[in-house]
Amino acid sequence: MKNKNKKKLELSDILSNVIVIFFALLSLFPIYWLFTSSLKNSSDVVKMPPDWFPASINFSNYVDVFSNQPAFKWTLNSLIVATVSTVGLVIVSSLAAYAFSKLNFKFKNIIFVIFISSLMVPKEVLIVPLFRLIQDLGMVNTLSGMIYPNVATAFGVFMLKGFFDTIPDTLREAAKMDGATEWTVFYKVMLPLVKPGIGALFILNFVQVWNDYLWQLVVGQEVNSKTLMVGIATLMQDLNPNFAYKMAGATIAAVPMILMFIFFQRYFTRGISIGGVKE
Amino acid sequence: MRTDRVRENITGYLFILPQLLLFLIFIVYPVFEGIRLSLFKISYTGETFVGFTNYMTLIKDPVFVKSTMNTVIFVIFIVALTVFFALFVASAIFDKNAKYVSLIRGSYYIPVMVSMVVMTMVWSFLLNPSNGLIPHLAREMDMSSINLLGNKNTVLPVIIFITFAINVGQAIILYIASMIGVPKDLFEAAEMDGASRTTVIFKILVPLVKPTTTYIIIMNIIAVLKIFVVIQLLTGGGPNNSSSTMMYYLYNNAFKYNQLGIASAVGVIMFLITIILSIPQLRAMFKN
Repeated sequence: MKNKNKKKLELSDILSNVIVIFFALLSLFPIYWLFTSSLKNSSDVVKMPPDWFPASINFSNYVDVFSNQPAFKWTLNSLIVATVSTVGLVIVSSLAAYAFSKLNFKFKNIIFVIFISSLMVPKEVLIVPLFRLIQDLGMVNTLSGMIYPNVATAFGVFMLKGFFDTIPDTLREAAKMDGATEWTVFYKVMLPLVKPGIGALFILNFVQVWNDYLWQLVVGQEVNSKTLMVGIATLMQDLNPNFAYKMAGATIAAVPMILMFIFFQRYFTRGISIGGVKE
Repeated sequence: MRTDRVRENITGYLFILPQLLLFLIFIVYPVFEGIRLSLFKISYTGETFVGFTNYMTLIKDPVFVKSTMNTVIFVIFIVALTVFFALFVASAIFDKNAKYVSLIRGSYYIPVMVSMVVMTMVWSFLLNPSNGLIPHLAREMDMSSINLLGNKNTVLPVIIFITFAINVGQAIILYIASMIGVPKDLFEAAEMDGASRTTVIFKILVPLVKPTTTYIIIMNIIAVLKIFVVIQLLTGGGPNNSSSTMMYYLYNNAFKYNQLGIASAVGVIMFLITIILSIPQLRAMFKN
């Protein structure tokens, strides 16, 4: 009886896992198609029935993207926007998170509640007033215009406060006893202890800004102030009917993120789970 | 003693000052400015107060009504698909060997990493009626409708499927993390009693990960509410506005038709929806 039960149970388990694997492969297929198409020449890419493996590998589409479009400039813009936004966010939010976790000041709880309440509001719904603000500040077509709203988000505060909360208060008190200033306590004692949190925040936010689209589309209107995501999206509307060329552009935007995921997978699983789930 | 407290107050405010300033300028101010703008008619020459006229115009605009309905349809179907499929995947693999788990998790998460823009471009190629793979396979299998995006009846299901397929990895990661955290002895006890795996999953696992489910539902509702990239790059809202969404409508009014008042009103409506939707999640967060 027990045996029979066990066997039945395994069958449903095996069946579910077969389905899971099948869909996992299906979910990877578009990525495979993206890469292989980008390596085909303009006639092979539209051949039907298709070449499931590229018959020959050629990088001319990549050369074309970089020579026909300011793709280097776009990549550089994306790198700057993602890096500066993220470094800025890490700095301002680690300072604030430390204060919310360890210091006492008037209206602390109210301010924190307001911060957290803003977490769920996507900046896209504020796009009209935000764009007019950027316009008034003379930041249209500048990278600063893309960066500032990213640094303002309260997500980092929420995430890092959780890390500061796990550090015992006695550590701060002991350091203060020894005559350390608040800044020394923060910078020398606490900050090194929340490094894993900062790492996770850095990577999550970098990817998010790199992949962001609408805000960068609205702020970067001139061809040279576009970011990579916005730039390659314009290839879609390009009159050039060569899909291999478009796929090469898309690949250029995708590869850095895939590499990041492969190298930092640990941080993603941890960071995303901290993002909101507390049992 | 008193000066100490004053000092601590000042220190606290100095630490939060940079974040607070940015927050006030780039989040709080736009919220109020958005509400104000939604009550004005805005042109190059100036602003005229028009009260709720913009909101009335919206309600009477069939394209806005259609965009709202589409958004609601997208939210319902995409969120439901995401939750069910992610639960299924996570519960099937969470107790397997760690290498296998991270391989499967990675396969589903790579499309999330690669971004909506890139994935939408690939799907647009795959679905291209003249030289895409999917229409070709459909022809091979003798199916008639090959222009899935140009057909009013197929465009919504296709967008639902694509958005779901690109983003489900996020929910899978969350579920796996949460299921791995469930104490093992709970399962062992149930297995001792002769419960099947399916029973264990439905009776123990699913109820235990309910906070994760709530979180996933809310986050996904808000994410789908602002659905834009797929619409702009795949269908352009077409055919004949049949796939337009609130965010796409907002964008067009703001940056194509220069109807800033109308666009702001859409923004305010979406803002209110997100605030209302996030109340349960915020409550759960504050309990901690």
